[in-house]
Amino acid sequence: MWWAFLRRWLHRRQVEQDLGAEIQAHFEILIERHVAKGLSYEDARLAVQLEFGNPEQVKQTVREARVGAALDAGLQDVRHAWRVLRKSPGFTIVAVFTLALGIGANTAVFSIVNVVLLQPLPYREPDRIVQLESPADESGLMIRYISIPKVTAFREQAQIFEHVALYYPGGGRMNLTGGDRPEQVAGMRVSSEYFPLFAAPLAFGRTFTENEDRPGGPQVAVISNGLWHHRYGADPGIVGKSIDIGAAPYTVIGVLGPGFHWDSPIDIWVPLRANPNSLSHSHDYYAAARLKPGVSLEQATAAMKVVSEDFRRKFPPEVSFFGHGFLTPERMHDVLVKDVRPALRLLLGTVGFVLLIACANVANLLLARASGRRREIAIRSAVGAGRHQIIRQLLTESTLLSLAGGVVGLFLGYFGLRALLLINPGNIPLIGEHGAGVTMDRHVLAFTLMISALTGIFFGLIPAMQASRTDLSVTLKESDTRFSVGGRQNRARRTLVVAEIALAVVLLVGSALMLRTYMALRAVQPGFDAHNVLTMGMSTDEPRFYKTDAVAQLVRSGTEGIGRLPGVEAAATTSSLPLEPIYEMIFTIEGRPLSKLPYHGMGAWRSVSTNYFDVFRIPLVRGRRFTEHDDGAGTSVVVINETMAERFWPNGNPVGQRITLGKGLGPPYEESAPRTIIGVVGDVRDDGLNSMPESIMYVPVTQLNDGTTAVDSQYLPLMWAIRTKTAPYSLSADIQRELRRASGGLPVGQIRSMDQVTAGSIARNDFNATLFAVFAGLAVLLAAVGIYGLVAYSVQQRTHEIGIRMVLGAQKRDVLRIVAGSAMKLVLIGLCAGIGGALALTRFLSSLLFGVRPTDPGTFMLVAIGLLGVGALACYIPAWRATKVGPMVALRQE
Amino acid sequence: MAKSDLLQGTLDLLILRTLEQRPLHGVGISDRIEQVTRHVFVVGPGSLFPALHRLAEKGWIEGAWGELENGRRVKVYSLTQPGRAQLVQEKRNWQRVFTAMNQVLTEDA
Repeated sequence: MWWAFLRRWLHRRQVEQDLGAEIQAHFEILIERHVAKGLSYEDARLAVQLEFGNPEQVKQTVREARVGAALDAGLQDVRHAWRVLRKSPGFTIVAVFTLALGIGANTAVFSIVNVVLLQPLPYREPDRIVQLESPADESGLMIRYISIPKVTAFREQAQIFEHVALYYPGGGRMNLTGGDRPEQVAGMRVSSEYFPLFAAPLAFGRTFTENEDRPGGPQVAVISNGLWHHRYGADPGIVGKSIDIGAAPYTVIGVLGPGFHWDSPIDIWVPLRANPNSLSHSHDYYAAARLKPGVSLEQATAAMKVVSEDFRRKFPPEVSFFGHGFLTPERMHDVLVKDVRPALRLLLGTVGFVLLIACANVANLLLARASGRRREIAIRSAVGAGRHQIIRQLLTESTLLSLAGGVVGLFLGYFGLRALLLINPGNIPLIGEHGAGVTMDRHVLAFTLMISALTGIFFGLIPAMQASRTDLSVTLKESDTRFSVGGRQNRARRTLVVAEIALAVVLLVGSALMLRTYMALRAVQPGFDAHNVLTMGMSTDEPRFYKTDAVAQLVRSGTEGIGRLPGVEAAATTSSLPLEPIYEMIFTIEGRPLSKLPYHGMGAWRSVSTNYFDVFRIPLVRGRRFTEHDDGAGTSVVVINETMAERFWPNGNPVGQRITLGKGLGPPYEESAPRTIIGVVGDVRDDGLNSMPESIMYVPVTQLNDGTTAVDSQYLPLMWAIRTKTAPYSLSADIQRELRRASGGLPVGQIRSMDQVTAGSIARNDFNATLFAVFAGLAVLLAAVGIYGLVAYSVQQRTHEIGIRMVLGAQKRDVLRIVAGSAMKLVLIGLCAGIGGALALTRFLSSLLFGVRPTDPGTFMLVAIGLLGVGALACYIPAWRATKVGPMVALRQE
Repeated sequence: MAKSDLLQGTLDLLILRTLEQRPLHGVGISDRIEQVTRHVFVVGPGSLFPALHRLAEKGWIEGAWGELENGRRVKVYSLTQPGRAQLVQEKRNWQRVFTAMNQVLTEDA
């Protein structure tokens, strides 16, 4: 059966000719018989047709009777549509390009949504992997940092969780020493359950045993496939060999397969060796686990609510940092994408609007064209095409257009997005380095195909229905060029333009608000001077730096050496840079009674070297800064910021007061002696430019206890910050040489200017603002084209009328008013509708905004004025051109 | 019975039977059917050609170009081997239906 269809399709021209000849011959014979009876040929032909219909109709019934007739007709529609579109390349190009913009925008956003929100994490049964979280303060906000007692509470629910793993979240750096090429790589400390939890594939060897994860266990390491290749030349005998990590020998016990992904790539894993029985309530780790087979997340959550009550009874919440809420398992995927989900949803909505505008535009083009094709359509229906056949034909045309738009849009959107991600990956999780994980996979292809097909039907249906409703007798009688356009059709076109404008206004307001945010973030006074500061990270994860004196010696030697370099103004070290993640510490104020909590407050906490405030130009408000004498031998001191001073000493002078850090936390954080507050410095927006400054305590790196120094050395790279007199990078080589000298050859990495660090902290805002601006720009452009098209078309239709008016004495001004006036009315209606829509919708943006309210009147005004300007241009240019037409030309245009 | 719309199956049977005697072109087939049924069945091109093409696709008849005495090129249809087998089958069916219908219609009340 299908064979018949295929053969016919392959020889379709021959088959059609054959059919035509056969039926023609049949009719000729019948006609001849009438002629033989004495009729004229013409009368005979009419008589035959009267009796049997015309040959075209017969051919059509044959076509419909054949195998696969429906498919046949479809293919024929496609060929016809192709011919029609090729005959008007101008229209086709405009329509395809308009659709490509709309579809491309959707493809771009979907390809991010696909990899971030839709694709499962690259682990076995990723839905079972949960992050273990708890609320650490009364705000009830869930945090990922967790204490050992809390983890134990999860681990005890052995019927619910398996492979409960601890790990240190990242940012850790380790030095590969030994050999002639020391190298700083990304290292991670993980518990033995980490590998089975994530079902990490092994290329060689094995992962940690529980024994190796105990305090005092043997020094072993697992390395990544990438490191095995690039540093060890893919040596197949690497397992069992000893490598030097931080000048200490570690035995390589395993190499992971290339298929293991962590969100920020890791090169080396060593055992975490946390004491599982620790009762310290310090929140130092992340923990994750796997739900046992058959256990749902809801069941696990419910069980942990009960466990949370037990935990509260066992450990007083104020000591164990257990705030309002419960110990909660949350799907790891949800945790990773929590921050970007709202923005991605908004972007999807935005591009949906852009596509709607593109659809309205093309629908309008089709409506305009349909009136030009009314004769063609009337003729087709006169020779027997039914209404549904005409609709089908027109829909085929629009779908062909949208599929072509889809193909162009796919490439436009995908490569446009890749280019954007190369410039600014926007700190989006799961997209890989520079967005390498964003691929044009089958999901993206299917999505684009689907929206293309739907788009074609969506924008094609109204024009097709309208066109097929043509009144035959009227249309055929009309002259070719001049006919009154049906009121219904004009109404449809006007409605579409109003809708376009309204949608564009909503997007424009959204984008203007994002732009205001962008500017507001740049106008923020961060509290420090980022300009001309070079920063570097140095891992001090070596046993010799687990003692404060050794680190103090390194810092002194390094800062002095760098300070002597020409072009350097000041050099300092810090445990973390401004705007980058920072840890918190509790403190108690000497001589002040405690109320409910066992401490007076909590604040961020940073260990710095003497010149930190000079390097970042953080102003001193009262008291003094650190000096060289604030070292291990001197009195313990601390510098606080203004926010902390105002919050805890609202009516007094904190300078001279004494506070104790970490009291009640136990070693190593609990400090034995109180620190004297020697100074108050200006606030720095350490939590990000869009957050208000919080309390912070600066302590000299030379005055940490050995235990804290050891923890810092293991987990935090020592950050060097150097204020330069010239472009910061010009001194990079000299500074690195000094650091190698001072540290005895430690490698440095993460070399960035502080301006780069600042830009990185708002990269996601910038990314969102850029996308919104691009999409709103597209929307306005498309809407302007839509208005222009409407006016130009009405001018073309009314050229004759305009000519008469001008002959009768109408001035150019009158013509402008007549032609552009009615279109401007549409612009106004659309603008009002759009403002209304924006007022209703911008509140969804509020989480992405900073420094501007979602209903900011100024922004709305600005958008209104801007859109009126664009609208006026789009109305008046074609209207103005109408006035240029001489009256005689206009009148002659019959 | 006036000029009636033919049931599709009936028309197929009529065409196959007509071509059993000798190959014919379209006008010849409808002439022959009209003649044999004494003007009961008049097959216009609107029903004839769809039926011919359907039968040809099923492989029961095949068409080939030929020439009339006056030189006009026409398509001449002839019965194929499967067509003959089909005709036997259809004849048998028809006889059964015919007998059954007759029994119903002539049954004494």
